[in-house]
Amino acid sequence: MKTSSKLIAIILSTVLAGCTATTTIDEYRPTGEPIELNAGEKVVVLGRRDAGHYETDREFIGCVGKRMTGADIGVLPEQVFIDAIYPWFEPRTAPKGLPRLKRLMQDTSIKAEVDKLDVRYLVWLDGSTETLDSGGSISCAIGPGGGGCFGFAQWDKLSVYEAIVWDLQDLTEKGRLRVDSEGTSYLIGAVAPIPFLTPVKSDACSSLGNQLKGFFTTQPASPQ
Amino acid sequence: MIMIKMNKFPAIIILVILSGCSSSASVQLTNEFPQVLAKPKPLSAAVVFEPSFATYVAKPNSKTMIDIGAAQVRLLRNAFAGLFSKLEFVASREEITAENAMVIIPSVREVQVSTPSDNYLNVFEVWIKYNLDLETVDGEAIDSWFMPAYGKTPDAFMASKGEAIEEASIIALRDAGAKLMLDFYRIPAVNNWVAEEQRRVRTSTAQQTQAQVDLEPEAQTNRQLVDAQQANSTEASK
Repeated sequence: MKTSSKLIAIILSTVLAGCTATTTIDEYRPTGEPIELNAGEKVVVLGRRDAGHYETDREFIGCVGKRMTGADIGVLPEQVFIDAIYPWFEPRTAPKGLPRLKRLMQDTSIKAEVDKLDVRYLVWLDGSTETLDSGGSISCAIGPGGGGCFGFAQWDKLSVYEAIVWDLQDLTEKGRLRVDSEGTSYLIGAVAPIPFLTPVKSDACSSLGNQLKGFFTTQPASPQ
Repeated sequence: MIMIKMNKFPAIIILVILSGCSSSASVQLTNEFPQVLAKPKPLSAAVVFEPSFATYVAKPNSKTMIDIGAAQVRLLRNAFAGLFSKLEFVASREEITAENAMVIIPSVREVQVSTPSDNYLNVFEVWIKYNLDLETVDGEAIDSWFMPAYGKTPDAFMASKGEAIEEASIIALRDAGAKLMLDFYRIPAVNNWVAEEQRRVRTSTAQQTQAQVDLEPEAQTNRQLVDAQQANSTEASK
């Protein structure tokens, strides 16, 4: 009896230990100085949606925006910005590089609208979460006497997102961030299906949001 | 009686679950579109929204129906307002009152939908293929412009097919607005029409100015005559 409880405990702890995501963040900034954000100025987080086979989902953009929002950082919702500048930040028309942004900001009406919204920095997010590999099988059945699921399934998920920060005043790039988050989720069918889900996307969001938040806080540059 | 209620409950649950798995979608777009941020050219246009266009319901396949008529009219009203300073929206060509305007008659050629089960990607896609017949007020053809628009939305867990297609259709319509703003004046035939129209306006303004200058000495003589008559009548009354 004792041996069986120990075995179950070992299996459960092994499975649960597997339910954590491994997250790596790469950061690039031309200078070590923090990015200045004056009082009243805002940041807008936008998703890249011009790729053919995937789309940076709005839920992730909203999540990063929420993470960044703090006492000293104002984050403008993505849709508010895109609607105010319509149609210049649609997938077809959004600037992919700084030369195009510079040309766009030469238009007085666009510049005036950006100034009106108090947007100083633009954070482009590009990436997606994909299921890499899956294994096992689980089958569920239902009948007049009841139902249940039996089996075991697992799948690996990978979230890769890149963030690029543009300054809308200087029209320069202020930094880049890349986050890779990977983890395995399990589903055990023992009459009732018991999921052990690894929050890969949520981990990528919190890591990216916190790191981006660090970009904008006025902390003194650490000595090299 | 209690037994019947007990049996009904799981049946309802199963029905709800099965309706969520339904592969058919009927969508009506009721959203508003933002105003375009652009300075219109000082030109006039008459946009003809024929009833077949204003009430268009797309049936890209036997399981999908998208009511885009009213939404596409709302979108094009906004988009054309960023292209022409003087606009007239009519339901038929006969109702046009504007002079020297470009007549624009939009129509939908085709609507296509692609779901994750079709494209093996985690996205729902919608293509709307428009055709814009561009004419002068006299009925002379300027061009017939093919304008495709595209929208996609990611597949979300537990989200319905209808919601995903609705979202992709809205993005496709917004894309149509963006395409119009970006490319309309780049159409060579439209560019030529604009140049011709501007030349016509310049010539007409110059002619009006000349006519005023020509009339000026005559008006001055008339004024002098009136002044003289008034002076004579004043002296006579004295």
